[in-house]
Amino acid sequence: MREKLHPFHIGILIYMTQAGVVIFSLPRVIAEHLGYNGWISLIIYYGIAAINITLISLVYRLADGKSIFQIMEDAIPKIVVLPLYIFLLSVWTLVGCMSAKRYIIIYQIFVFPTTHPMLLKLLVDVLAFLLIIKGIYNITKAATLFFWLVIWTIFLLLFFVHDFQWVNLTTFYFHESSDIVTGSFRIFTAFLGYELILLLFPYAEKRKGVMKAVHIGNLLTFITYTLVCLVCFGFYSFDQLKRMKFPMIDLLAYIELPFVERIENLIFSIFLFTSLMGIVMYNWAAVEAAQRILPKANVKWLSAIIVGLAFAVSWIPNVLVEVDAWLRFLGQIEVGIAFGLPLLLIMLLLLQKRREEPWIDYNEP
Amino acid sequence: MDRLQRAVMLLLIISVLTGCGDQRILEKLGFTQTTSYDLDPNQEQASNDEKQEQQKLLVSVTIPRTSDETSRELITATAYTSKEAKLKLQSQTEFRMVSGQLRNTLFGLSLAKQGIWEHIDTLVRDSSISPRVRVTIVNGSAHELLAKDYSQHYRTGQYIDRMLEKEAISQTIPEVSLYQFTKDFLDDGIDAVAPVIKQINDHVAIDGVALFQDDRYVTKIEPDQAIIFAILRGKFKNGEMSVDMSEVGRSNEHIMFTSLISNRKIKVKASPEAQRYYADISIDVSGSVLEYTGKLSIDNEEHQKQIEKTIEEYIKLKGEELIAMMQKNNVDSIGLGKYVRNKLSYEQWKNLNWRKVYPTIEVTCNVHVRIKDYGKFVNVEQ
Amino acid sequence: MTVSNSTNNPSLQHTLDSFNDCIDLIHRTLPDIHVHLVYFDHLVGSDALYRDIINPLTQAKEYELQSLFKKSQYQLTTDSIAVIQGILNGQVAIFHKENVYLLDAYKPEARSIDQSETESVITGPHDAFVELATSNISLIRRRVKSSRLKVLKLAVGEVTKTDLYILYIDGIANMDYVRDLIKRIELIEVDAILDGHMLIQYIDDSPNSIFPLFSVSERTDTAVSKLAGGKIIGILDGSPSVFSAPSSFFEFLASPDDYYQRWLLGTATRLLRFAALVITLTFTALYVSVTTFHYEMIPEDLLLTLTESRSRVPFPPLYEALLMEVTIELLREAGARLPSKIGQTIGIVGGIVIGQAAVQAGLTSNVLIIAVASSAIASFVIPSYVMSASIRLIRFGLIILAGTLGDLGIAMGIAYIIIHLSGLTSLNTSYITPIAPSYFKDWRDVFIRAPFWAMRDRPSQSNTPNKVKMKQKK
Repeated sequence: MREKLHPFHIGILIYMTQAGVVIFSLPRVIAEHLGYNGWISLIIYYGIAAINITLISLVYRLADGKSIFQIMEDAIPKIVVLPLYIFLLSVWTLVGCMSAKRYIIIYQIFVFPTTHPMLLKLLVDVLAFLLIIKGIYNITKAATLFFWLVIWTIFLLLFFVHDFQWVNLTTFYFHESSDIVTGSFRIFTAFLGYELILLLFPYAEKRKGVMKAVHIGNLLTFITYTLVCLVCFGFYSFDQLKRMKFPMIDLLAYIELPFVERIENLIFSIFLFTSLMGIVMYNWAAVEAAQRILPKANVKWLSAIIVGLAFAVSWIPNVLVEVDAWLRFLGQIEVGIAFGLPLLLIMLLLLQKRREEPWIDYNEP
Repeated sequence: MDRLQRAVMLLLIISVLTGCGDQRILEKLGFTQTTSYDLDPNQEQASNDEKQEQQKLLVSVTIPRTSDETSRELITATAYTSKEAKLKLQSQTEFRMVSGQLRNTLFGLSLAKQGIWEHIDTLVRDSSISPRVRVTIVNGSAHELLAKDYSQHYRTGQYIDRMLEKEAISQTIPEVSLYQFTKDFLDDGIDAVAPVIKQINDHVAIDGVALFQDDRYVTKIEPDQAIIFAILRGKFKNGEMSVDMSEVGRSNEHIMFTSLISNRKIKVKASPEAQRYYADISIDVSGSVLEYTGKLSIDNEEHQKQIEKTIEEYIKLKGEELIAMMQKNNVDSIGLGKYVRNKLSYEQWKNLNWRKVYPTIEVTCNVHVRIKDYGKFVNVEQ
Repeated sequence: MTVSNSTNNPSLQHTLDSFNDCIDLIHRTLPDIHVHLVYFDHLVGSDALYRDIINPLTQAKEYELQSLFKKSQYQLTTDSIAVIQGILNGQVAIFHKENVYLLDAYKPEARSIDQSETESVITGPHDAFVELATSNISLIRRRVKSSRLKVLKLAVGEVTKTDLYILYIDGIANMDYVRDLIKRIELIEVDAILDGHMLIQYIDDSPNSIFPLFSVSERTDTAVSKLAGGKIIGILDGSPSVFSAPSSFFEFLASPDDYYQRWLLGTATRLLRFAALVITLTFTALYVSVTTFHYEMIPEDLLLTLTESRSRVPFPPLYEALLMEVTIELLREAGARLPSKIGQTIGIVGGIVIGQAAVQAGLTSNVLIIAVASSAIASFVIPSYVMSASIRLIRFGLIILAGTLGDLGIAMGIAYIIIHLSGLTSLNTSYITPIAPSYFKDWRDVFIRAPFWAMRDRPSQSNTPNKVKMKQKK
């Protein structure tokens, strides 16, 4: 809308996009692929993400507030860029809708096993659509509200201080790891989400704090993941952890308060908010790309079509295994985009700066 | 964009209304409170070729119908697997049986000797079952214990559950849940344990701590030794111990050592090449002495130190006896393996056959006892 | 008397013709001096009438009239519409030869200043606004003795032509907002606007939203504090409801009491209110959700009592809950309509007897009665009546969602509310300030009530050019 995004909100937005339903299975994934005390490796993935963010901040500095689409269109003829946009659009739409499907399918393992998943997906998609059409500024506001509702759940971890045993962690490091490369991709996709900052360039306040906020959001994600994984590794024995599909849900199921128990379904429902933010941001990114292809189209209809297409595609996989396969594949592509797009932009920007003739900027944003 | 939003709203309303599928309305449910598993005693002995085991599975369903504190429904079925049994049970009641409020599982001794992991596995897989469900062994037939109504007590299932809870607080049994059992079973550095109960006339009584080798019941610790086991197993608050001083040289003297706070640290020295391992357990116990029968005077300072020393000797003696018993039965119920593991490298640990090595390690206990108080009454003698 | 033929020039006959069939119009003549008086005597204060008009005129000779009419209270008017409007506004039209003079003598009967019935506080001033705009302005002027308090006059309503006064403090309020507000008011084209609450529905940013976007109050201290905070006040003649803009969602949860008590108490009360907000929204919904889908959440001791009380009810929990909620709403609405003596009895009778009888008849369970009653009581903790009504309505939505989709339904409902709130603006500022955009300084006055020495700045929503409201002491 009219106002610009403050860095604080950008940080929150990035955190909410990154942290998603992955956190429920992350400890097991890490145990499977990285072996004993695998949670320590999270810092490496955090580091890689941070490097990527630094790359993007280079783009930000060079771009000086211009939209990345603008940069690409200035340097490359539109006909060439168009397929790239379509590619980005498709990947982002699919990533968004598949992670929503994943959330719903996991939810159904615990509650509503016989309800049709697409019914629930429809509701989630409608909610996502309603938020997308409100524009990025309002999306950020919603993200802030969601953030405050979700962040307190981290204090539930305090409940496990009593039963946590350091001796459980053993002194082995990374033994019994398997498929480190595939595993690393899977774990790294848990950190994805920060690359969408590229699309926020024209909307952010021109301050130095923008990229710092992204780093902080990333850091917060890292801290959240590490705390949860650490608690899981200390609370469960290693082989036990490897066999639990969703360790965090079991963790929550263990909490017992005097007036309520088994709050895992309630907390998992609250995590709808983070999944919603993921879908909304990726679909919004797709809509932004779509707007460059069809600049005259009505934004709301465009969003409806994209969300509708995403919904249609998400009919295809029906079982968790299939959805996971899709997400693995898409995740790898997205990692490519996360690294590739900034590199491309840097090249284009440096090329522009080298041009001899004076550059007339007739595309003022 | 009113048209669009209106269409969306309509869609939303319709879809919400049709989503009333998997309801589990409270009063239509039958909450399984306690499950008992036994080997079917009526089964004819199969020949050695066909290893057929039909297990008698019994489920106690507490009906939350009346406010009468003792009413419940008990259903029994026999089947090859626990899930098959559940189907059979379901057909015997008018309520929809659900396991979400399951609190306790009882395993008969004969079944426990054969191994209970496959049942535990089924329970852990089920997402509606809480990880806090207790695992309890019954010295005898679990079904008979559960089927009986104990006239002076609450509904049997809750009676057992509450007793286990209370006893766990005073450390006469460890508190073992599905989570705890699975964790210890799957950990190669420790063996699982479980509380044992027994039916005695018109009561249910605690009968000690069951020790498992993997998932098979091997032996148990008697109830009066349970406190020593608790001291060795980990730190705790609130337990009590009866010290028979005749075992440490003072005949006909007894101390009641209460309100215990106990800490233990295990240090391991390992030389894997020589296949020699030493474990040193240092124990720190403090508590109150309110009852003492014997020649010493508990209000005399010198004697107090003597009493402390005696208790130390007692704990050391009993502790090492208990560990020797466990080593003989090859059950590492305290978890010495975990500490040995931390001293070795990964390859060394994996190459080590802990089952073979465990009985050979030398374990010593170092006990320090501190008596905090002797009560509020002083008996001054010369 | 002489009759002028020109239609532009106001003439006595033209004026009297316009007020044909208005029997309450008074036409007095003073034949000696050829003066006609036309006015509504119920609009005009008789003191002013006699002092300023009747007495001087009866005592004056005709040749003195010229100089008399030169005095500033006699306004020479040349427009016939203005004359009619003036008479309607409580002025006296004085016809002398071809000239018409208007003299303001407006002093209608009005309710005396009294306590507000809908907004009462335990400590603090009790005077509230009345229907007469000038009295209301007087109440404010008494408290804000500054020439920077500006009062603008507008008119709304094509037929009623009601006076609307916009007040703000120059230098503290943001002039862009003032201009925007005035523009919106000028765009209203409707016959009649009867109350401040009605007016704001014409000018606010999202009239379709369930949430009130401008805060309305009947209390003078509230209005003054909003002015000092940099907000803009609107007083509509004929209505004691005074609105202020821009407003945030959290303003509706604040009460003047918070400031009159010591800060720890104010903080505790505020936190209680937030808890009440959560309770009223979710308590019944959680009950429905737990009894329909999530039985495993009930602790064992509660399980049997709950099941037992539910077992006697013939309907599923969703219908049971809706039934009770609707009953409570009926009671509430009925209690508002009845005269106060009967209303109080119905409240007690309804609350206790019907609830108890419903349980014994097996229509509901005791736990539900507790849930519904707590929700209802919690909803009345919210100081603003309009907001608490909105929240009560939202509650129904959440209950239905809980009954059809369990915890996920509640989460979706809350998500929808948040999504809706994120898009709301009040006078183009974010409705959910200070959470988003996050102004942590404002949190001291929203979620807790910090001691006064810690609250030095005005609320950020008013976008004021003058941020500091308190200079540092000590």
